[in-house]
Amino acid sequence: MSEIKQDAAATNGNMAEEKDWAAAKAAFENLKSNKPRPPKPQYAVTIAVSSRALFNMVAERKIFQEDGMETYVAHQQEHESEPLKEGVAFPFVKALMNVNARLRKLYPDSEELFDIVLMTNNHAQVGVRLINSINHYDLSIERFCMTGGQSPIGYLKAYMTNLYLSTDSEKVTRAIDEGIAAATMFTQSTDTELSSTQLRVAFDGDAVLFSDESEVIVKQHGLDSFFEHEKQFENKPLAQGPLKCFLEALGKLQRKFYAKNERLDCPIRTYLVTARSAASSGARVLKTLRSWGLEIDEALFLAGAPKGPLLQKIRPHIFFDDQMFHIEGAKELGTISAHVPYGIGQKYHKGKLIEQPPKKE
Amino acid sequence: MVKMSVEPVQVMSGQVKELRVAPSSNGDSRGSWEGKEEFDGGSLGVTAKPKQVTGRRARKVEGGVFFPKPENAVTVAVSSRVLFRTEREQKVFEQKGVEEYLRYQIEHETEPFAPGPAFAFVKALEAVNTRLRELYPQSEELFDIVLVTYNHAHVGIRLINTINHHNLFIERFCMTGGSSPIGYLKAWHTNLYLSADADKVREALAEGIAAATMFMPEKMTEVSESQLRVAFDGDAVLFSDESERIFKAHGLDKFFEHERENEDTLLDHGPLKGFLEALGKLQKKFYAKGQRLNCPIRTFLVTARSAASSGIRALKTLRAWGLEIDEALFLAGAPKGPMLEKIRPHIYFDDQMFHVEGAAEMGTIAAHVPYGVAQHQQATKK
Repeated sequence: MSEIKQDAAATNGNMAEEKDWAAAKAAFENLKSNKPRPPKPQYAVTIAVSSRALFNMVAERKIFQEDGMETYVAHQQEHESEPLKEGVAFPFVKALMNVNARLRKLYPDSEELFDIVLMTNNHAQVGVRLINSINHYDLSIERFCMTGGQSPIGYLKAYMTNLYLSTDSEKVTRAIDEGIAAATMFTQSTDTELSSTQLRVAFDGDAVLFSDESEVIVKQHGLDSFFEHEKQFENKPLAQGPLKCFLEALGKLQRKFYAKNERLDCPIRTYLVTARSAASSGARVLKTLRSWGLEIDEALFLAGAPKGPLLQKIRPHIFFDDQMFHIEGAKELGTISAHVPYGIGQKYHKGKLIEQPPKKE
Repeated sequence: MVKMSVEPVQVMSGQVKELRVAPSSNGDSRGSWEGKEEFDGGSLGVTAKPKQVTGRRARKVEGGVFFPKPENAVTVAVSSRVLFRTEREQKVFEQKGVEEYLRYQIEHETEPFAPGPAFAFVKALEAVNTRLRELYPQSEELFDIVLVTYNHAHVGIRLINTINHHNLFIERFCMTGGSSPIGYLKAWHTNLYLSADADKVREALAEGIAAATMFMPEKMTEVSESQLRVAFDGDAVLFSDESERIFKAHGLDKFFEHERENEDTLLDHGPLKGFLEALGKLQKKFYAKGQRLNCPIRTFLVTARSAASSGIRALKTLRAWGLEIDEALFLAGAPKGPMLEKIRPHIYFDDQMFHVEGAAEMGTIAAHVPYGVAQHQQATKK
């Protein structure tokens, strides 16, 4: 309101003010600081994590559920200076930071980096503890969205989020419905040592990188029709799945390393771990990836063998799959798994149709 | 050194676009990968009957287990270089680098590779599987073949095309794009790993996995299509190399004395004992169904030991392990080549390159097991 008055009053003053703003903006942009500046969302690969995925807040969650909001907030404020313990997405985030460090060394002015946003339902009151924890671990998460109970979907879109990780499956499902790559994270039962120099991301094939069209055929018509169908349509690319764009983003960053001759030492490595059989249905998958211009470093066709032992050898920082059956198997052997609630696989558990209400097999 | 043939493979020059193969050798009628031809659904052989279409394996899953669990099956991991002949591509890789190699492979994607040294072995494994499925349709105790290769996923399509062209049933792949596949071998519960690269084989042996390096013989003798024949050397292959150590250090006489004294002490086991055990387990399944005379697996022991002087300890050890071996040949130093030529095994395991070379010269498919004291000797000799 005051601006309108000013506009009407003194145009000269306005010009001067604008110049001030411009000067201030320029000064801000030119500020040299030791801490790296976060990249602009449209250039960066934005990864939104929830506070419960980044940190271990199991105890606090219990307080919230049993004793209510007020007690929860009070508890958090009391323990403000106590950093939270590492959560299930923590190794992944640390690995992303490591890749950023390498990227900054090779391309100091580029904005094509990983950008991590904390997207949490928590109240702003809890923010202090979160900030203290983040600083304790020396993570550089500068962007927060504390939605205080509101849905985060709108903010995810505003940040042009490439990947959303949460422990709340409802939010993840809603995000996927809106076209944002998302996955629900689960804690593994045992701890494995992960690489601190190389980010490793493992993907399932159908209903994660690709659409669930083939899975529909398997579930409804059986394995034989599936093989026939895949052979027939070998040269027709599959439709894309929810995490295709994230793989694309990873590939783009990988190429930046290859361009600087760092192919053998690339700090990003991608894996395809699919239950498909190679000779009967693998060609379509490989041809689809090629038609998308996506490279995947390692491809493992399991033809039905359990994924757990192989993932244990790969040691990914995160493994995306659409079927809970595989997630559970991976978890048991210490792999950090994330469930992508997409496609027809959700209606089945271990191959059998889930009756309403969903029963555990 | 074994002379590996480096001349361009004749098979490939004849088959560029035309993949129309005679139905008798390969029932798959689909030729061009461009998808221009109408897909002939009738020849796929997907029928309700479990009876097999001539030559073409019916890819049904209901009749018998096609994807056994790794821990129940006898898993054989092969690399792409031993399953197929890839000398030309190897040359491109060595001379022109990775990018050129990948481009070459993608260009020649529809050209199938020619069979390599392990091809006949894999075909024989599948023949055994067919018999096992007939007798035990629900059992998962089968041979499971996994392709474990350093190759990049780009080459995967050519490998898949070749596998389908030769009508092999290899559905499990590990394309590691440059990193070591040894870690995956354990995850697959691998019982045997075959590769062309001696370093990888040594790594696998160090991890406790039976492994051997395969070489392409100059000429390949015809091997049986219905019976899998596997020949083993004794010391440092089935048994540990303790006896060889004594022989190399103290001479033949001491060796005989030692063996006689320790006749009843069991020899320690060698790297391929586990694989012989796995073969024996499958053999017993055939015996149980009265198929002893017609068993599609036959094992041979071909050892340079002398029977009367040192043979008893070997046989008693096998007996104590509960392992049967079908034929035992004690050569007392005679060359193994001619014997093996008569046996015609699909694969012959030996720890000494000298024997492997001798066998290869006569057309036997031989695999070297780089284990034990004999390896250091060869290194110093060179």
